[in-house]
Amino acid sequence: MRGIRSCYLIIASLLLTLSQPATYGETQTDGYVSRKEYDELKQQMLALKKEVETLKKEKGQSTSPPAVASTAPAADFDKQPAAPIEEQKSSGLGTTKFLITGDGETTFEAQNHNTSTFTAAFNPVFLWEINPRLLFEAEVSFELSKDGTDVGLEYAQLSYLLNDYITLGAGEFLTPSNVWMERFHPSWINKLPDHPLAVHDGILPEKSVGAQIRGAFPIGPTKLNLALYVSNGPKLITDDPGAAGMLRFENSVDNNDNKAVGGRIGFMPFSEFEVGYGFEVAKPGDQGTPFANVHSVLQSVDVNFTHDSDLLRGVIDLHAQYAWTRVGHAVYDPDGSLGFGPLSFSNKRDGGYAQIAYRPTKVDFELARKFEFVFRWDHLNQAPQAPGALDEERWTVGVDYWLGPSTALKAAYEWDQPHGQPNTNALLLQAVTGF
Amino acid sequence: MLRNIRRQFGVAWALAALGTMVGSAVADPPPERAKSSRAEPDPEAQKSGEELWSANCRLCHNIRPANAYSDAQWDVIMHHMRVRAFLTGQEQRAIADFLKSSN
Repeated sequence: MRGIRSCYLIIASLLLTLSQPATYGETQTDGYVSRKEYDELKQQMLALKKEVETLKKEKGQSTSPPAVASTAPAADFDKQPAAPIEEQKSSGLGTTKFLITGDGETTFEAQNHNTSTFTAAFNPVFLWEINPRLLFEAEVSFELSKDGTDVGLEYAQLSYLLNDYITLGAGEFLTPSNVWMERFHPSWINKLPDHPLAVHDGILPEKSVGAQIRGAFPIGPTKLNLALYVSNGPKLITDDPGAAGMLRFENSVDNNDNKAVGGRIGFMPFSEFEVGYGFEVAKPGDQGTPFANVHSVLQSVDVNFTHDSDLLRGVIDLHAQYAWTRVGHAVYDPDGSLGFGPLSFSNKRDGGYAQIAYRPTKVDFELARKFEFVFRWDHLNQAPQAPGALDEERWTVGVDYWLGPSTALKAAYEWDQPHGQPNTNALLLQAVTGF
Repeated sequence: MLRNIRRQFGVAWALAALGTMVGSAVADPPPERAKSSRAEPDPEAQKSGEELWSANCRLCHNIRPANAYSDAQWDVIMHHMRVRAFLTGQEQRAIADFLKSSN
């Protein structure tokens, strides 16, 4: 019905349009049309009418019988783009499911009894969502060193979402039992320019090669998260006079058939607070040597809390982690051939950190909202019998100026007192961005 | 002796700081806690994407705004964060939907 009305309106408009010149012409003459002009207009009108009828017929042929057909293709049209997109997702083609993120930093360190120096690092992270269940993630680190540039593979893991709660992963991954490494070590997340003792380059593993199962389980208003892994595990250092009895965690190709087992359980009584316990047990000695049956046990507890408080007019942030490690009794350099033995001991070490940060995000003064104030205590306690081991304790105060959510300028001063040594207090400055 | 005193002071400081934090949380309860006190079968499922985004992301790092990434990029990032930060599938979807709707 609307189509017919439209046709009549079109005809009327055309007639008016066509009649205007004549009328205009008549206005110029005597205001009437001649018989000849009338006949011409009538012919034109009849021709238009015929044309409209023809168009209506053509339109009817194309719409009426295939009315169903016209909706069917429309429905297919909705589905058709979906199929290629799904194919694209499942095949991993295209660029929409691949992302490069990561961070970069420049640090200046002026430390007592050492030369001051600038350093720089670039740590791209590659994320590739192969399909909605499968993710490949990898991080490569580029760091300046005395010899040039160190390049390292931080992690490379393929993970599979088994269901809404459980994920399986395999490859090289950040060790779940050390929460600092898994969550807080990137320089745009770490609120100070350097890393805490014990949990970084310390007595806990940072990355592991193996497989893991992990998951999160809501329990009422609380949440439990679990990670369990099996990996190559650490390697026991036996022949280095400065490090005998310590563990080398970069054990990319295993030194024995024993596999380390570890994990972490975290509990969140409410969403901004978490307590966790991590562990790893292994036999780190070289296969076929007297150290093959030496056991190592690594344990760690952590507390993490963040709150955006009206009372404190800002965000308060607390992280603490403390670790205890034990390498079973062993005799190093038993015949003295290496020049430091025989040395018999069980290597027990412990250490950790506590850090509090405050950012006044709710004060009226806009500039103040960009500053964050940080205070950290960290500590490492070595076994007295261990060669080359020094207890160390540090106190660090810092201030960050946030240019954006993941870009900051950091400044810190660190009081560092290795036991029995001159202090190595340091001024640290850092510019960092996460992208 | 001095080291032991320092260490004890450090532990005491950490405990005091923790007490202060928990105290401030009790004095200023987050909306998540207020909601969770309601009699609901699965309070986690009731949390909005915005609440989950705010609480879960901030536990480790500053919150990035929704317009920091495109929708497609958020899909990848949320997949990555689901694995890394122990998010459930429901939490991942809720946060991703919120970020994309705010984009």
